[in-house]
Amino acid sequence: MSDWEPKIASFLCNWCSYGAADLAGVGRMEYPPNIRVIRIPCTGRMSPKFFLAALMQGADGVWVSG
Amino acid sequence: MEHMGVEPGRLSFSWISSAESTKFVEVVKDVTATVKALGPNNNFKKAAKVA
Amino acid sequence: MLGYIDKIREISKRLLDEGRVDMIIGFRKGTIPMMNEPCFVKNSGELSTLVWDSNCGINLANYLTDRKEKIGIVAKGCDSRNIVTHIIENKIKREKLVIIGIPCKGMIDKRKVAGMFENGIDDITEEDNILRVKSRGVETSLKKSDLLQENCELCIHRNPVIYDELAGPLVEEQKDVDRYADVRRIEAMTAPEKWEYFKDLISPCIRCYACRNACPLCYCPTCFVDESRPQWCGKGQDEIDTRTFHFLRAYHCAGRCTDCGACERACPVGIKVRQFTSKLNKDCLDMFGWEAGLSPDQRPPLDTYKPADPGDFIK
Repeated sequence: MSDWEPKIASFLCNWCSYGAADLAGVGRMEYPPNIRVIRIPCTGRMSPKFFLAALMQGADGVWVSG
Repeated sequence: MEHMGVEPGRLSFSWISSAESTKFVEVVKDVTATVKALGPNNNFKKAAKVA
Repeated sequence: MLGYIDKIREISKRLLDEGRVDMIIGFRKGTIPMMNEPCFVKNSGELSTLVWDSNCGINLANYLTDRKEKIGIVAKGCDSRNIVTHIIENKIKREKLVIIGIPCKGMIDKRKVAGMFENGIDDITEEDNILRVKSRGVETSLKKSDLLQENCELCIHRNPVIYDELAGPLVEEQKDVDRYADVRRIEAMTAPEKWEYFKDLISPCIRCYACRNACPLCYCPTCFVDESRPQWCGKGQDEIDTRTFHFLRAYHCAGRCTDCGACERACPVGIKVRQFTSKLNKDCLDMFGWEAGLSPDQRPPLDTYKPADPGDFIK
């Protein structure tokens, strides 16, 4: 159990957080590798279906960021 | 979600501008730590679907 | 409540004869006791089939979605609020409707009554606050106010919010009702307790979708449970799938639910479906001061933005 790492489904807005993630990459910043990024056109695209489906299919956490 | 028994912290929301890469990194660390503290999602996962 | 029926028939006759409406949506007697069913009356000769008593718990607004005719509809307090919701969501035009308002004193919980009689119920009649139940030739009198549906007990909008005609004088609204006692009880639990509580709650669910079909809010052409690509939610009785279904259905009703109790009434296995929606109703009231369907001129909180909207959950 000690080497368990969470899987976090991250829904990132194309214009905000996805841009920030890009910038973080360009800037060679380090952050935990646990997030799995899903780009959405806008946080308005987010729906409760998405995070329920993510949890159902085994994500340990869900992060929505605009 | 919380009301129906999913642990608070499994689901987080944040608001980051495309210029805020430092905040992005911070929030990723934060979210990861929260979920790690909660442990694996055993409740909501469909047993049959474990890959 | 029984006095209403003459008035309903009278108004309906006038509306049909004057050609103001093409049909009246009301209730007729069902084939078994306590199961009144909706009916569509298209000419004034059939008006004698209409009835009104305390078994008219089905929400008639459900039958309005995308209708093109001119319709006269019989509406209790909750029905009228659902009609408002329909108007806001452009599912029906106000001009097409003549609303026959019914000041309502609550509907009886057929499960409570049925549970009291082992031998089944042959017939049930009512008079003011008294129900007379016939079971195998034995008649029992019961007090109606003890046997109301839970949502009716807690109702504070008994009078219709919009109407064109009224079938009787407005009734006094209930005051000092603690509507969210149940929600608070659950809120006080810990996460695992809540998980177990809802697990028990939905364990008898057979996924018949009666709650969805009875609900006037559930009018999507394809419901998410019927979508197969992507499949949001499995179709079997898997616990997680069932939970997802109830979660999502509740979310879809957020800010729209009028707590009419149609879902609970329709459930064949007696699940308290309202436990899901009432939390969201409470949240809407606490966070946005909103109750669904009170005025056709107000936009619901989830499709407007106000600077004062709570946003503490966002980092």
